Amino acid sequence: MKVGILGGGRWGQALARLAMAAGNEPFIAYRGTPRPPHLLRSTDHPPDVAAECELLLVATSAEQVRNAIQLTRPGAQHRVVVAGRGLEPATSHWLTNVVLEESEALRVGALAGPAPVEEILNGGLCAGVVASPFAEVRRMTTEALHSNRYRLYDSPDLVGVQLAGAMVPVLATLIGITRGLRGSGVGTHAMVLSRGLVEAGRLAQAMGADPLTFSGLAGVGDLVAAQAVPGHPNFDAGLALAGGDRRRGPAVLAQALARLAEQHGVELPLTEGLCAIYGGMEPLEAVQSLMTRPATSERG
Amino acid sequence: MTAATPLAPSIPGSEEPPERATGLFHPRARALVVRDLINRSRRRLEDLPDDRLEAHLEDALWNERNRMRRSRDEDEAREQLDLLATALVQGSRSDRIEAGLRLVSSWADEIHGRFSPRVYRMATRALPRMLSALLSQRPDRLSDWDLSPTARLQVRGDLDTLRILAREATLILCPTHVSNLDSPLIGLALYLAGLPPFIYGAGLNLFDNPVVGWWMHRLGAYTVDRTKKAQLYKDVLKDYSIRALTTRHHSLFFPGGTRCRSGELETHLKKGLLGTGIVAWQEMLTAGRPDAEVYVVPLTLSFTLTLEANTLIEDHLAEAGKQRYIITDDEFAQPRRLASFARRVLDLDSSVIAHFGAPLDVLGRPVSPDVGERRAEALERRRYVCDRDGEVQWDEQRDRVYTDRLGEALVDAFPRYAAVLSTHATAYAAWSCLADNVGSSDPFRLVRVPTGRRRLRREQLLQRLASTLERVHDGVRRGRWGEALPKDAGRTLQTALDHFERYHRSRVLARRGSDLVIEDPRLCLYYRNRLTFLDRPERSQPLGGAS
Repeated sequence: MKVGILGGGRWGQALARLAMAAGNEPFIAYRGTPRPPHLLRSTDHPPDVAAECELLLVATSAEQVRNAIQLTRPGAQHRVVVAGRGLEPATSHWLTNVVLEESEALRVGALAGPAPVEEILNGGLCAGVVASPFAEVRRMTTEALHSNRYRLYDSPDLVGVQLAGAMVPVLATLIGITRGLRGSGVGTHAMVLSRGLVEAGRLAQAMGADPLTFSGLAGVGDLVAAQAVPGHPNFDAGLALAGGDRRRGPAVLAQALARLAEQHGVELPLTEGLCAIYGGMEPLEAVQSLMTRPATSERG
Repeated sequence: MTAATPLAPSIPGSEEPPERATGLFHPRARALVVRDLINRSRRRLEDLPDDRLEAHLEDALWNERNRMRRSRDEDEAREQLDLLATALVQGSRSDRIEAGLRLVSSWADEIHGRFSPRVYRMATRALPRMLSALLSQRPDRLSDWDLSPTARLQVRGDLDTLRILAREATLILCPTHVSNLDSPLIGLALYLAGLPPFIYGAGLNLFDNPVVGWWMHRLGAYTVDRTKKAQLYKDVLKDYSIRALTTRHHSLFFPGGTRCRSGELETHLKKGLLGTGIVAWQEMLTAGRPDAEVYVVPLTLSFTLTLEANTLIEDHLAEAGKQRYIITDDEFAQPRRLASFARRVLDLDSSVIAHFGAPLDVLGRPVSPDVGERRAEALERRRYVCDRDGEVQWDEQRDRVYTDRLGEALVDAFPRYAAVLSTHATAYAAWSCLADNVGSSDPFRLVRVPTGRRRLRREQLLQRLASTLERVHDGVRRGRWGEALPKDAGRTLQTALDHFERYHRSRVLARRGSDLVIEDPRLCLYYRNRLTFLDRPERSQPLGGAS
């Protein structure tokens, strides 16, 4: 099968390698990035990829998804799977909705899970999850990527997987803050991690998603990877926030999630705490205000 | 689906396209229709592996036996069930299929109406005039009656485009469902709009009345027995709808399934019959039909007052909606109440507004009014279900997701075409004042508040009404819904009070000195619920095509 990949960066190349490992022919569309290695077939004219491939994997940054779709112009016959995290920063729209807004494609999905790019490029073993309400999108993506070095699971819960993709950077940043704050230790870390999972599950449920999705690869799996890999951008942003540097990290994402929670009448204390920190509150003050909340049921 | 007076069906005629000559209502079509439905069921049953076939037929047996415990004697059906039971215990695979098909055969016969072209011709001439008369002013002298199309029923929408689409494609009309009066009023609205008649399924209980039943059968309404829960039956019903659509019969489905008990615009739709649109479209594509397109037209009906409001809201509050799914003892079944409603409510200017919405395709996407664009859209649309060679690739799961999208598009469309009437806006504002005064938004608490605490200060209500009207206008400006009342709270309140006095025995809102009192909080809740769409969060598109 020919597998179109939009984005010629390291993630796009990693997906191309996985497609090859699964016995398929990747075809990369790149723009604004150096040409991928010759081993990987590529073009700087994205519509060529759309003309040849029915399955398109979008491997750009969240900011670039809209542009990539505008350049490629997928049509009714395409299945478009976004391999990025959650929401478009400028609009707070889900990335799959960006595809729906910018193209005629209806059959969309999301690929999520831990994605240690360098490990994948070096032949490491990994796993991910593809979510789509369309069984054929899940089937085609699995056929495109599943191999003995990359296990791809599937889920119909597109809302849950995209939400997990959006929550992980927020929680990873919060964990970074707790690790960076003086006086907080492994107990704070564990508390933020486990309550973060409950928080994500609560929002997922309110949005009609399956709360258990967050305990899978797109949620816990990705979060574990974020803490385990040294230099993870969100974890590092958390460390920087603990030291008062507010320039990095998922501020826009946290605000978008807080708005979403408000729309659905759900409380996200940790996410709102992160918003408050980006808004100028001292991290220690934010932690203290979280700790003084009234006692409640663990499943509340 | 509930229905009262039947809508007239399409009728085959010499000028009609050839496929219509084999349509549902050809004099010799009955046997053909039944045979086609049996063949469709046969193919479906033969495709099932043994264990699923057994489970499918056991489901039919169990549900039918259960139903018969509650219903009158049906000796023939009992015999068929005994045969099926025997086949399931000791028969071969083909015995089981044949026993199942006997049930299908009797159901197919029951579903198909007994259309009479003679009755149809008479009815299509007389019914619109009778309904016009019902909705007209009633002067003292009979000779002064105005039988022309009336302002009492206002028909809105891009009717020119719909008339064109009705000629070039098959239409599915999806109205909101408020009252049992919907069906005849939609029939009249179609007539006034210059649109052809639509066929529709009517609840089998409505055929129990020998006079109404005789009439409806001959007009072509097909029967829907909502007491039959077996999947096998539901599949036959869907097959009937598919056949109707593929033979170019415009069809009407109430996608909410039944009259909305709470008074709200539908937010949860039943997708069974709605999903037959995409199947029919693909069948016509497979057959290479040039007229394969199926378009879905939302229709929002807005009533100043609702005939059955008391019964419906009681049912909603009793949370007995499921148990009393088929209400047979409501105001519609009481001739005096019906006459009183016709006399006092349908006499009002714009008492009913039928707004036909912009058409959608079976994937829930808008259809262009421009013929050239529409042709291009039709070619592009095929690629959602066809492979590179243009062959239809059947995929039930994919089609269910497409139908979910269509359902969401309809739910989004209904408020766009809803008319915000004085009764709705006033009840919405009054309920909001009551909630503030009591300090609770729990409807079950608010409907039990004693009379003394239901008194509202006039200024408070006018202020709240003004802000409600402002919200409506704001939504209109942002394109969320279509139209608004003038921003005159005083006049709106006055009109609503006049209307509330006209029909209901206990009034929603009444004057009490210089203040006002909510006399019947249940009714207030019912009319207030009509505007709950004002409180819905704004959303762009469903996440990834379906949520």
